Amino acid sequence: MFDFNAARKRSELLMSIRQFFTDKDFLEVSTPTLSPYLIPEPTIKVFSTEFRNEFTGNLPLFMIPSPEIFMKKLLAAGSGSIFQISQCFRNAEQLGNIHNPEFTMLEYYAVGADESDSIDLTIEMIDKTKLDCCPGWIEEKPLVITMAEAMKKYAGIDMDKAENIGYLRREAEKLSLSPAPDEPWDDTFNRIFLTYTEPSLPKDREVYLTEYPERIRCLAAKDSSRPVRKRWEMYIDGIEVANCYAEETDKEEMASYFAEEEARLIKEREGSGDAIPPADPAFPSLDIPESSGTAMGLDRLLAAEMGLKTIEPLLLFPLSDMLTDGKSRI
Amino acid sequence: MIKAGQIDKGTALLIKGQPFVCIEREFVNPGKGSAFVRLKLKSPSTGQVLSETMKSQDNAEDITVEDRDIQYLYNDGENFFFQNTETFDQLDVPMKSFPDYQYFMKEGETYRATFWEDQVLDIIIPSKIVFTVAEAEEAIKGDTVQGATKYVTTETGLRVRVPIFIKQGEKIRVNTETKEYLERVNS
Repeated sequence: MFDFNAARKRSELLMSIRQFFTDKDFLEVSTPTLSPYLIPEPTIKVFSTEFRNEFTGNLPLFMIPSPEIFMKKLLAAGSGSIFQISQCFRNAEQLGNIHNPEFTMLEYYAVGADESDSIDLTIEMIDKTKLDCCPGWIEEKPLVITMAEAMKKYAGIDMDKAENIGYLRREAEKLSLSPAPDEPWDDTFNRIFLTYTEPSLPKDREVYLTEYPERIRCLAAKDSSRPVRKRWEMYIDGIEVANCYAEETDKEEMASYFAEEEARLIKEREGSGDAIPPADPAFPSLDIPESSGTAMGLDRLLAAEMGLKTIEPLLLFPLSDMLTDGKSRI
Repeated sequence: MIKAGQIDKGTALLIKGQPFVCIEREFVNPGKGSAFVRLKLKSPSTGQVLSETMKSQDNAEDITVEDRDIQYLYNDGENFFFQNTETFDQLDVPMKSFPDYQYFMKEGETYRATFWEDQVLDIIIPSKIVFTVAEAEEAIKGDTVQGATKYVTTETGLRVRVPIFIKQGEKIRVNTETKEYLERVNS
């Protein structure tokens, strides 16, 4: 059975989000979902396909895991603040529950803003576009908590000392976790974070978890005063709904990040049968203006607003259903 | 040994020497990190549920399990008693490991069970079971509202909402997952 009530709620939410950003002078853009190159991200597996022409030859193409690559090109070309609601694709994740290989992403970039401006913008956006069916969390004041505070509070980890891998590993063992002896810092950190910290975050309000460790490399700018990155993730009811960076604008940093991630991606994927999308060679030299970008899973936001723990009832054709029944929900 | 990423619902594992069965598995990709799995593992002997987060590439000790037929005899409030239909050995299973299963256990009925060595890890309840109505409320006379329902209790103590025409002693088919009435069975 199709849930047309949920379809109507989705339509209402999308319309009010479009209105919200348009009123704030963000330009709505539409960028490709198929691309010959991507940002190298070893932790995200992608779908690959091919452009075929018997006379001119074939060209490998990849389904985008997020529209970031194209939206940043627009920012660099002087677009000003932009937003987009688009379909994105991620391979090899959970099938069902809070995942579907194809999902709806809302991505918005505010020019001249940093990640803390984006928290204000996001809180305002959720408040102004909320559906009239919302559960309690939406009326509560959102919580902004740093990673250091959360790791201390929920796992007893002192992030000032955690720079030292020996300390981090000993603490993990005290928490009865079993990090491998040669495990990279990020993995031990994530073991603790995923086992103790993330599940303990308050569930009765939006939670903005800020100041991620600098050692977890990404395209978020470094903080000049502390070893953290200007990045946050937002959770509702324990589910990760959005993430945000103050964008890296330093070309040398971008180039070294690209080189490192691409090398890791090739090393991890070679011989595995997983798609190896080429990195976009032009990306690291883009003149990205000072800006802050947020990516939000709209299916998850809609689920949270309807008080649901899974996105499947909100998808008219969830892949897990198509696969188990061999047919759609008709 | 298997990789944690290969663990699925129903996979049996040995953790610190104790058998556990996976009841929930979710892949998690922390932003910019390796892939992890979040598992909920249930101990069949105590009913205890354990939450584990492992890297998908971590090794886990899986155990070989075997399905056998067992016949339900009775329960004494603490244990279910079954008989192995091949060896005729009697075995007991703590009821607290399988909450609410007593409503689906019919005396003399054969069930498929998953064993690790001599321990029952799981009992498979058929998706539909025919029960006898042991107690039924009298339908109120003159109640002709379409779709009117009442509650009955089966011989196993399960309360089911049924159409008002169902009487004591009749047989009904029930969906064991939703505990909902499906149809009357003519014997």
